[in-house]
This record gives sequence, structure tokens and C-alpha cells, in this order.
Amino acid sequence: MHIPDGYLSPSTCAALGAAMLPAWAGAVGRVKGRIKSRYVPLMAIGAAFSFTIMMYNVPIPGGTTAHAVGGGLLAVVLGPWAAMICITIALAIQALLFGDGGVWTFTANCFNMALVLPFVAYGVYRLISAKSAPGSARRWVGAAAGGYAGLCAAALCAGVELGLQPVFFHTAGGVPLYCPYPLKVSIPAMMLAHLVVAGPLEAVVTGFVVRYLQSYNVALLDNRALSTDFQPSEAVSYRKLWWALGAMAILSPLGLLAGGDAWGEWGAADLQKLVGFIPAGLKRMTGTWSFAPFRDYSLPGFDSFGSSALVYIFCAVIGAGIICLFTYFFGRFQALERKERN
Amino acid sequence: MSEPRCVPSWLQEKTPAVAAVPVRKRSLKGGFVEKTLHAIAEVMKNEVFSESLASRQGLLQGLDPRAKLVSVLFLIGTVGLFHHIFPLVLFNLWLFWLAKSSRVPLGVFTKRVWIVVPLFTGILVLPVLFNVVRPGTPLLVLFHLSRPLTLGYWTIPAEVAITRQGLAAAALLMLRVGASVSLAVLLTLTTRWNALIKALGALRIPAIFLSVFEMTYRYIFLLLSASSDMFLARRSRLVGRAGPREERRFVTSAMGSLWCKTAALSEEVHGAMISRGYAGTPRSMLRFKMKLSDWAWIILVIFTAILFIGGDRVLG
Repeated sequence: MHIPDGYLSPSTCAALGAAMLPAWAGAVGRVKGRIKSRYVPLMAIGAAFSFTIMMYNVPIPGGTTAHAVGGGLLAVVLGPWAAMICITIALAIQALLFGDGGVWTFTANCFNMALVLPFVAYGVYRLISAKSAPGSARRWVGAAAGGYAGLCAAALCAGVELGLQPVFFHTAGGVPLYCPYPLKVSIPAMMLAHLVVAGPLEAVVTGFVVRYLQSYNVALLDNRALSTDFQPSEAVSYRKLWWALGAMAILSPLGLLAGGDAWGEWGAADLQKLVGFIPAGLKRMTGTWSFAPFRDYSLPGFDSFGSSALVYIFCAVIGAGIICLFTYFFGRFQALERKERN
Repeated sequence: MSEPRCVPSWLQEKTPAVAAVPVRKRSLKGGFVEKTLHAIAEVMKNEVFSESLASRQGLLQGLDPRAKLVSVLFLIGTVGLFHHIFPLVLFNLWLFWLAKSSRVPLGVFTKRVWIVVPLFTGILVLPVLFNVVRPGTPLLVLFHLSRPLTLGYWTIPAEVAITRQGLAAAALLMLRVGASVSLAVLLTLTTRWNALIKALGALRIPAIFLSVFEMTYRYIFLLLSASSDMFLARRSRLVGRAGPREERRFVTSAMGSLWCKTAALSEEVHGAMISRGYAGTPRSMLRFKMKLSDWAWIILVIFTAILFIGGDRVLG
């Protein structure tokens, strides 16, 4: 699961790092706001725990042993945000102090194992365990399913990252520069190993540890002081964020001034120009999404630069609005649910 | 009196339990308990070894940790930009020379890099050599089939061969991974861990992260020794081999009990920190000073990177 340096292009690593920055900032803010000065020792020792359990050999059928990641377990006992910090630090120590896993690919490894894994695991765990009592069977079943789903989702992400390399990065002679396997090979290879061996192992480990905690220290499963998934203790001001969103919506037509397309948002024809061929999958996909109301963010009749800019701003506002609306309703829904629970 | 006085009779009975448990050879050295104990011992041994290397007098040891960290990150990025095999080979030779002048034993260095990388990356890239996986210009034809074979969505071409592109891709990946791993190994072997963590501050990583990082590193060894105790206690009470279900239960219970200890420990450490006046902002006592040689090193690194990348681009 740890992608070493050299398998991914530096630009992929940088892009994933950029995706991780807001996630890390969010996690630190959330965890710090929730558990205050206890945050430093808890995160430190949690990370040490994460590092340590990755070293445990677990016997698997067939007579050999394998390692579990334990990310799902951390998400269950600490909440996904705190788990994200713990896993990040454990990965950083592995990469920098033990030379295990890459230094540049650290960002990709964090994306897969510190972001995708705990959040998927936690989502599945909460979905199954719902409002059950800490001692109920739904908790450990949920934890096991969460561990499985989280690990498989992380493996899928790793497979996609590796599989995209030969599509974008190869020499003129067709020699792939980084990981040489296309998506067609990398995804089945990653998924098969994780769906059949590593995933079930992770499920068994997560489920059994939760069962152990249920029988010996059930308080740790319901520890609001440790957990970080409850509402933040104080109201956070979002005003600055609104200003930033508005500014970005107004600045959105800037893209019109730049030649070419956004990186990674090429259409099939652009892609053919860039890499020399159209990936078969993309060819099939082209045209399936033809019913978007504002195709390419433009309306018929608005052709000049000024009017296209207006259309862009309009689309940005509409897009941001829809997202805000969704978020608002989601928040209301959560609040209602919380009220019901109390 | 034929019976010894002090040994009770029940102890004299031969208990069949010990003799009846079949002891398989594998269980003596390859069991999961031994493997885990071995892995834990390796980490600790490794740590002592790298601390001793880091305190030697050598080229990389003499550098400011910040300069070293930044230059290693920069060089790994540079390695990622090479498109040709030849500059990568030269670059790896340069790294060997760096290892030698940093008094890293070449045997250790070779073992860590050039045994491990071919073992893992080598096996991984093996299939790409053949045109079965990736089409390309045939270099060495292995055998002919009468016609292309189709298995599901997989097609095996009539002429199975090792391709030029496949060979180049495999070599490129191995050399690239080798160079990156070499750089990371050199960094970890020649830097004391506390200096390395402080040096991360130079990358504008917030102090709060660094203090968590530093504490984590200390507590890893505490938790490792607690785990080692658990596994050793288990091993010393074990006669023969338990079933895999039982073994899995033991490992997961060990994890659970370690988590209980972890949670309790973090509460205690927090109490200790508060009582010593911790107010939420960590302070560091280590101060670094950039010497002339550090600046010279950075210029050398940038120059090397330009030279290699330039050479790589000249090749096309």
C-alpha cells in the first residue's frame, strides 16, 4: 500500500499534496478546537500506536502472516479527523526516520491512507452502528465492515494514481517514465490483493479489537472526550470564507485568458493532441454527459469575451450556490437528527 | 519412605499435555509471535545503528540538518524529472560516492538499496518486459503462437517477446526508485532524529506538528517495548502451537489492550505536561546555524541538479 518514490511523477505528488493541505488544516483546527491542550499528547501517542500496530504480524489462513494497517480502527476509536493526523504522523515517521515509503510520494500515501481510508471506514462504521449502544454487536460488525471498505477504497485510490502514470507520462518513444502499468492492469492488481486478502484481514482485526474493547473497556468506545466527530465546541466564524468564495466566483473568468484547458480537464480531442491517442475508456465516455444545462459553462448567444465572462461568473455563482444549499440542508438534517437523539 | 516428602503426588504424575502437543518445526522460528518480536527488535537495533552512524564524522553528517533535508527533498524531486537511463546511472554512482564520503558502510548501503529495490520493484516490473502486458518494439522474441490468443479482455499476441520499451521502462523505474531510496536512506542514516524533526521547521511546518512528531517518536519505543513484553510473555507461556483462530484472537486482543494503555498514557502525559506549565505552545531548545559549507553544499546540489537535468534534456 505504501507507494515508494519513483512510481509517481512529481506533478502527481504535488497535486495530491495540494489536495491534502486543506484537509490537514481542517483536521488540526477541528481536533484542537475539540480537545484543546490534550491534543498534543493524544495525537502523539495515537500516532505511536498506529505505527506500532502496523508492525504486528497477524496469522492468516495458509500459514503465513501479514500486517494490518489499523487506520479503520483509529477512525473508530478517535473519529476520522484525529485518525487522519495520527496516520499522517505515523507515515511521516516511517518515511523520514525509517526510510520506509516515499518522501515525495508521502502526499499520495497520506491521501490514500490518512484521508480516504479513515473517512470511508468511519462512514461505513457510522452507517452500520448508527445509534446502537457501545456494547452492541452492530458496533463491531460496523467496525469490521468499515475496516474492509476503508482499506479497499484506499487501495482503489492507489491503483488509480499508479494507473494514470503511463497515460500522462511517457517518452516520445512510448517508454513509460514512472509506474508502467495502465489502469486496466493496476486497478485489478491492487483490488484483487486487497479485496481477497488484506481487506478481510483488516476487517477481522478491526472487528476483533472493537469486540475486545467492548468486553474489557467499553468506555473507550463511547469516550466523547477522545472522539472528535461531535459538533465543535464553539461557533466558528465563516465570514472570511464567504468573502473568499465570492472573490473566487468573480475571478472565475480569468481562465478564459489562459490558453488551453485546466490540467486534467481535457476533452477527448485535446487529449489526443497531448498524448497522441484517446484512451479507450474516455472515447466511450465522451458524449454520455450531453445533457448538462450549461455545456462548457456557456450559453448560446453569449460569444464575446465580456459576455462569456458574465456567463462564467453566473455559472460560478450558481455552482457555489447549489453546493452551499446542499451543505445547508445537510447541516439542518444533522441538527434535526442530533435534536432527536438528545 | 519411597516417596519424596516435599513433592506432592499430583506433581509427580506425568502430565501428557506437554508431550501430546505436536511441535512443528515452523512454529519454533516462523510463528507470528517470533516474527513480531523480531520486527520490533529490528526497529530498535536499526535505531541504535543509525544513531551511531549519525554521530560519525562524515560529509553529510557535517551539514546543517535543514540544508540536508531541503537538499534531499530537492534531489528526490530532481530524480523524478529524469527521462533517460544514462543520467540516472551516473546519479546513482554519485550517490554511492556520497555514501562513501559520509562513512556509511557500503555493504549496509547496498543491502538497503540495491537488494531491497530489485526484490520488490524488480518483481513488480517484470511483467512489463513482455509485449503480453504492454505492446512495443520486439527486442527478443521468446516464442511464436499460431494465432493471437484471447482470454477474456486479455489478448496474447502471436509473437511473445521482450520489448525495447518494456526493458527501458523497467530499468528506468528501478534506477529511479533506487536513487530515491538511496537519498532517503542517506538522510535517515546520517541525521540524528531530533535534529531531523527540528529541521522540518525550516519547511514551515507548524511547531505544533513538530512537537507531536517528536513525542510520537519517543512513545513509539515505549509502545514497542510494551508490545514486545506482551508477545514475549505469550511466547514463554506457549507450548506447541495454538490454532490460527486463537492466534488471531491473541493479536487483536494485544492491539485492544495496547489501545487501552495508550489512552490512559495520553491522559497521564497530558496531566504531567499541564503540571509542568504547558500552555499549548511547544518550545524548542535546539538552535541551528548555517555555516559557509552549508551554503556551498546547497549551491553544489543546485548545480548538480541543473547539470543532470540539462544532460537529460540534451539526450532528447
